[in-house]
Amino acid sequence: MRRGRPLLLLVLAALTLTALDARGGGGLDGVRRTADTLLGPAQAAVSSALGREPDRDVAALEAEVARLTGELRRSEGLQRRVTELDRLLGLTRAGTYPTIPAQVSSTGSAFGFGATVTIDAGSRDGVREGQTVVNGDGLVGRTVRVGPYTCTVLLLTDPGFTAGARLTREGTIGLAIGDGDGGLSYELVEGGAVSAGDALLTTGSDTFVPGVPVGRITSVRADAGALVSTAAVEPFVNLAALDLVGVVTEPPRGTPRVPLPR
Amino acid sequence: MRRVALGAAVLLTALLLQGALLSRLPGPPDLLLVVVVAFALAEGSGSGAVTGFVAGLLVDVSADHELGRVALAYALAGHVAGLVHDRGGLQRRERSALLPPAVAGAAAVVAVTSYALQGVLLGDPRTTIGAWVAAVAATVGWCVVLAVPVVPLVASLVRRLDR
Repeated sequence: MRRGRPLLLLVLAALTLTALDARGGGGLDGVRRTADTLLGPAQAAVSSALGREPDRDVAALEAEVARLTGELRRSEGLQRRVTELDRLLGLTRAGTYPTIPAQVSSTGSAFGFGATVTIDAGSRDGVREGQTVVNGDGLVGRTVRVGPYTCTVLLLTDPGFTAGARLTREGTIGLAIGDGDGGLSYELVEGGAVSAGDALLTTGSDTFVPGVPVGRITSVRADAGALVSTAAVEPFVNLAALDLVGVVTEPPRGTPRVPLPR
Repeated sequence: MRRVALGAAVLLTALLLQGALLSRLPGPPDLLLVVVVAFALAEGSGSGAVTGFVAGLLVDVSADHELGRVALAYALAGHVAGLVHDRGGLQRRERSALLPPAVAGAAAVVAVTSYALQGVLLGDPRTTIGAWVAAVAATVGWCVVLAVPVVPLVASLVRRLDR
């Protein structure tokens, strides 16, 4: 009996904490902030000392530079057209957003349930909860649990992740939801056509800035009698090799659009 | 006092190593759980439960789930692993190299299952049968492997302290 008592106390303490935290209200946020202030800098230092990836082959990098230079030239032509079209539509944004660069310092949530990473930027750097996280390839996720020095990013493949997304070819909108297995599923809101190979861009909401590439449709599941068609999406971002990311700090536009000039 | 300092030093080292290196591996491995099992095997169920609770809180404060979830999972796992010590298992079969990995594997099942059950109660969308099976397989596998070096290391640290 004497042996069982500490365990009982600990179980009760843990359950109380969980209940208080699950109820919300942010009463325990101070605990998290303090822990991050103490542990965050140490974790970032150890990560950058131990976790540095070996340099890639120089030849491979040169080949990549050549490929990217070609791509840049091609996209310059496209960029000019985009700028003209944007001006025509009265859009003020230039397609790029101010971002805070950050490094992934550790990955994974408890026992591998869910998909999250910790990055070495926090509220002291201007990061707030619910901001879009991107890298060069596209959407990475959104910020949750922001501490002073670090924050947790919910990756787009997590089952708790949902974002509005538009098909680039068809223009139809729907919801991209993490499937917890390295991909996403895409559900159309109003029905319409989905075809494999089509790409998804974020539509923009109170969380996500619009126009961020999400992923590509790999297969469509057409269930007879189902109200909405569901498609499997492969993210553009390589989550296994996630390193440098950017947190978009500009809030999604809230100003009314300028009417088209006559 | 020295025992508390030893526990804190080992847990913090494990936490930093876990974040910097191990969390990047597939699975991911759970070094802190193995450290909890090692203390439990060296000192018994009471020590295992307390060490587990503290280690779990360290994980909880920097994670994206509710506070206390891993603390409960580790405390139960540490208690179960410590029962082997309480029953004199380590003294009787001290030479058995198979005992620490077996206990670590069993503790991993306890920890993951407890965490998953809390997820079901809290309505966590991540908790599915498939995710549970994958988490048990990965955590048990890594715990069995990590127990081979970690359990003797912690045991020798604890013995040195007792001297």
